[in-house]
Amino acid sequence: MKQLRILLISDSFILREGVKTLLSLLERPYKMEECESPTFNFNRLLTKLKPNVVIAKPDMLLPYTVLPRKNDENGQIYYVGLTDDHTPTKLKSRYDFLLPIGEDKTTLLQLLESMLSSTGYLNEKPESNTLSERELTILKYIALGNTNNEIAERLFISTHTVMTHRKNITRKLGIKTVSGLTVYAILNKLIKVEELQVIKQENK
Amino acid sequence: MHIHKDLKMADVIHLNHHLLPVINRFGIQLGFGDNSVEEVCQNYGLNLDFFLEILNTFHDPTYFPLANLQKFSAKMLIDYLQKTHQYYLEEKIPEIENRIQHLIEDVAFEAQHLQVLMDFFINYKNELISHINSEEERVYPYALALERKLSGKVHIDDELILSRNYSIRLYEEDHDDVESKLFDLKNIIIKYFPSPIESSRFNSILHELFELENDLNNHGHIEDLILVPIVEKMEKELAELSDKV
Ligand SMILES: [Fe+2]
Ligand SMILES: [Fe+2]
Repeated sequence: MKQLRILLISDSFILREGVKTLLSLLERPYKMEECESPTFNFNRLLTKLKPNVVIAKPDMLLPYTVLPRKNDENGQIYYVGLTDDHTPTKLKSRYDFLLPIGEDKTTLLQLLESMLSSTGYLNEKPESNTLSERELTILKYIALGNTNNEIAERLFISTHTVMTHRKNITRKLGIKTVSGLTVYAILNKLIKVEELQVIKQENK
Repeated sequence: MHIHKDLKMADVIHLNHHLLPVINRFGIQLGFGDNSVEEVCQNYGLNLDFFLEILNTFHDPTYFPLANLQKFSAKMLIDYLQKTHQYYLEEKIPEIENRIQHLIEDVAFEAQHLQVLMDFFINYKNELISHINSEEERVYPYALALERKLSGKVHIDDELILSRNYSIRLYEEDHDDVESKLFDLKNIIIKYFPSPIESSRFNSILHELFELENDLNNHGHIEDLILVPIVEKMEKELAELSDKV
């Protein structure tokens, strides 16, 4: 999934802050650059940020007769217009989506979410966090104090693969340290306290 | 909102009560009446700017204490940092340890699981102690010696400390964060501990862990963002001095 990169263009401070608040309420990852000047260099920003979504107050893009449709990575750029009752229809037609700023919070959120989803750049809600069989096995070895190399040898896989599994385990469980993983393994009966003690003694 | 000198001290606490242990470290006790932050500082003979910087870095984790760094002496800063260390070792850590210990004694059938938590915490404590020791034995004395050297008030051991070729760079590079393990412990209790009973006691342990983590975070921030630049500046000054000689 490609990262959502947003370019926000408006000379109104309140409007920019409002859009940012809405975006943060969506609770999805994104990168954003904002721009307040009416005389900004649109093309430079496009090259720099490579946005895939541009959210703008319609009059801001007036000087540009043609709106670029592809960013530098050859990805599609979608345009969201922040409109109100006074926005001329002619201006509105240049935009892929319209966000009427007079709407209430719930509507705004729904609109924004559905338009961003249809661009395909909005990350799906996080995947399930249950560990796979393989990950459980590897977690067990980690908890028992084995190094990446040792695990790789035992399971006949590359160290690189072990590291990838490790990253996924840490991400899924939200536990970063080895000792944390060990506690998790004990609490979930993957290993027994006695097994650990045996190892501790061997190490001595 | 940033904390400034004209706010009433009482309102500061209403705004963010997590600042209480921080102001205690400055020796400030409750009962400030209607005194402003500035007045409280006067009453206690504290450096107002320093006090505000510390409060603000704690209050707002994104606050970056850029301005006026050079106004603070290393001595002032290190006094504060050491008091914070003391607070961890003498209050926070024993408090959490006690709570877990009592839980172990009271809840017989989960005792084995709780013991695992306790082992983890003790391990953590030891790591924290050695982190703190290395700062208090190496880093802080070095910074203080530098400062005395520059102000011409050298102590007997200062030359020895300064002759060791230590540099704050080294500290900056491997100053590790002591919070990740704490984060794991929290997460284990929140997400994975299989005991629904005694929830309220787990809550209070968790609460303590959150507070400690937050405090440590801020402490590390101050070390990285205030102490390191101050010492770097002194190192430069000393190098320039010895170039002239
Ligand atoms: Fe420290
Ligand atoms: Fe530290």
